[in-house]
Amino acid sequence: MILLENLTKKYGVFTAVSDLSITIPKKEIFGFIGPNGAGKTTTIKMMGGIMDPTSGSINICGINMKDEPEKAKKNIGFIPDRPYLYEKLTGKEFLRFIGNLYGVDKKTFAAKAEEKLNIFSLLSWADELIESYSHGMKQRLIMAAALLHDPEVLIVDEPMVGLDPVAVRMVKDLFKQLAERGMTIFMSTHTLKVAEDVCDRIGIINKGVLIATGTVGDLKKKSLLADADLEDAFIKLTS
Amino acid sequence: MPGFFKDVLILLQPRFLSFKNPLVAANSKKEFYRNLFLGAAGFLFWIGIFIISLRTLKYFYRIEGLGDILVFKLLSMLVLTSFSFLIFSSILTSLSKLYLSRDLVLVHSMPVSGNRIFTARWIESTADSSWMVVIYTLPVFVALGIVNKAGFFFYLNTALVLLSLSFTSSGIGSLFVMAAVFIVPAGRMKSILLFLGFTLFLTIFIVFRLLKPEQLVDPEVFSTVVVYLDTLKAPSSPLLPSTWVYDSIKESLSGSVKSSFFHSGLSWSFAAVMLFINILMADLIYCRGFSKTQTASFRVFKYKDSDLPLTGLLSGAGRAFVGKEIKTFFRDQTQWSQLLLIGALVIIYIFNFSVLPLEKAPIKTIYLQNLLSFLNMGLCLFVLTAVAGRFAYPAVSTERDAFWLVKAAPIKIKTILWIKFFIYFFPLLILSEILIVATNIILQVETFMMVLSFISVLLMVPGIVAIGIGFGATYPDFKSENPAQSVTSFGGLLFMMICAGFIMAVIILEAGPVYSIFMASVHQRSMTILQWIWTILSFSMVVVISIIAIFLPMRFGEKGLSKVLP
Repeated sequence: MILLENLTKKYGVFTAVSDLSITIPKKEIFGFIGPNGAGKTTTIKMMGGIMDPTSGSINICGINMKDEPEKAKKNIGFIPDRPYLYEKLTGKEFLRFIGNLYGVDKKTFAAKAEEKLNIFSLLSWADELIESYSHGMKQRLIMAAALLHDPEVLIVDEPMVGLDPVAVRMVKDLFKQLAERGMTIFMSTHTLKVAEDVCDRIGIINKGVLIATGTVGDLKKKSLLADADLEDAFIKLTS
Repeated sequence: MPGFFKDVLILLQPRFLSFKNPLVAANSKKEFYRNLFLGAAGFLFWIGIFIISLRTLKYFYRIEGLGDILVFKLLSMLVLTSFSFLIFSSILTSLSKLYLSRDLVLVHSMPVSGNRIFTARWIESTADSSWMVVIYTLPVFVALGIVNKAGFFFYLNTALVLLSLSFTSSGIGSLFVMAAVFIVPAGRMKSILLFLGFTLFLTIFIVFRLLKPEQLVDPEVFSTVVVYLDTLKAPSSPLLPSTWVYDSIKESLSGSVKSSFFHSGLSWSFAAVMLFINILMADLIYCRGFSKTQTASFRVFKYKDSDLPLTGLLSGAGRAFVGKEIKTFFRDQTQWSQLLLIGALVIIYIFNFSVLPLEKAPIKTIYLQNLLSFLNMGLCLFVLTAVAGRFAYPAVSTERDAFWLVKAAPIKIKTILWIKFFIYFFPLLILSEILIVATNIILQVETFMMVLSFISVLLMVPGIVAIGIGFGATYPDFKSENPAQSVTSFGGLLFMMICAGFIMAVIILEAGPVYSIFMASVHQRSMTILQWIWTILSFSMVVVISIIAIFLPMRFGEKGLSKVLP
């Protein structure tokens, strides 16, 4: 479903991501963790078609991002780490904007928008301007928008930033349900507990290089720490 | 007290460093040349003001009996106008600096008292709101000094007393803002002030224009002028700070040092009193006002979600962006004053043509009407360039931080740019055609001139809009708090220059053939073969240039924007 092959991104002489290759099958939740500046956001931006890689290829549902970027993007729900939106639109108008952009059927739009707003507890705020939303509400609106067109792949950068504990729990459960229904989720996070709870497999990136991949158990084994949790394994592997 | 100044200086450090660092750091060559270019343009403008002032003052002094009165009245008006501008500018700047800047939340979380934060922000606000007015009024005073052969004292005193005027204006502005924030939320107040300011300015301007001030140069109404000049001798109110500044400059010009010191002293002591009152008021109400600003403002209108009418035939992306652009445009109150400005521009533009005294001109009316119509085409397109600079050029920058949405969307950058092009093209085309057709009707031009103007504008408007969109996409400014101001940047300057070149090229290409056709029609003779070839070649060139002006900048913009990261 997601295929990254020898992905490299250079900023001048600095290599942000080096020769990254990952295959993520359908229905899998893949966690992407790493220290600050390791290359997580750069990878996510390349996967979302926001940034071109220096070399290597990205395949989303069998579509090459370089050859058919619009077609590939249509299969993606993208959630960035910072919820910047059009402040002068209402929540519902923003969803309509996204719906039109991603080709959501006009007949089903209203029901879908209401469903998503309801899931993310934004229904009572639907007709308010986004400028009056809190940080967490904006983050929830972005998630609602990313799921509006029923994408096959969800790419998420730091999903829990700004969310309250109830919303965090809701998002974790939602991601699991979506994966069960066939969605592939690529999620970058600093919250190791979230990665441990939700992800089927985890990749650790450090200084632009993928240093380990596998289940939480695999990573613990690799770190040679028998009774360790993911945090200990992460610190050991990245230090 | 030393602790007070130390804290204020520390609070000013980020501003000082962010100004200094880019100057000291090894900039790229491109940035260096860009700054050099902008600096040179600013300097040339300063020199231009200086030369015009020098010539005007010399001319005034040559008018016996009236010269002195005119010069000093001009000086008094300049000081009073600068004072009004400084107050208006300081109200807007201090509102942003004291209540709306993004860094204020961080600053207010620091262990520093409210009056120290206020003082630091007030100093910043004073510098930001007054530097331009002071720098660009100085050439007038320098010219005044040169014409009057004034000594060094005049220049020093003028610079210092203008500084005192800046402090006074800033003090008045911030006092007003601190009080007003208690009545109206700061976020909304900025829009209201801008709107009221523009409305007031436009009303005064339209009324002044409708009074037909050009009649003052008409000898038939000369007796009125003499009466008018007599009223010029009336002194200004001695209670106005601008009067003290004016008196100080006037006295220093005549070399009366003591008297000049007295008026400068008045001005400086008032500035100090204003600062003192401001700090006292800041202690009482600034922090409370800031805290009030942090709460969300209430909503006046309810919004109902639906696609905009008539957008049903567009593609999904087209519908999405057209709806978004139009809704966000009209919900941004800062745009309303701009629309008012365009309305006033149309009224004055058309009115100017209706009062042209063509019958008094020494050349035949038919030539003059058609010559004016031809030149009007250029003028109208220059006006359009200014309007496009305000609306089409910032169209990409208005995406601001939400630009990631554009990059992540399943749509080509090229398509988005073309959607933006069409959003601005239709209204600007209608505006230009209204201007050109209405003025041509007033001028009663020949059918040929009417058709030529109509078609030329039709050909050139897409080019000007495309240059705006294209260059706005190549040099976007997503970080600006007000993207509308992006036209004052390097890219905006390039846009203006390229549009000016484009308009001039078309005017030059059309001028010769139009003259030949017009003369042949007036003298009722046919054109020579050479003239026909020249005409066909010229008009073909106009069509080619106009097409290039559409596609080249759009391609340029697409390439540029593809490289920009959110």
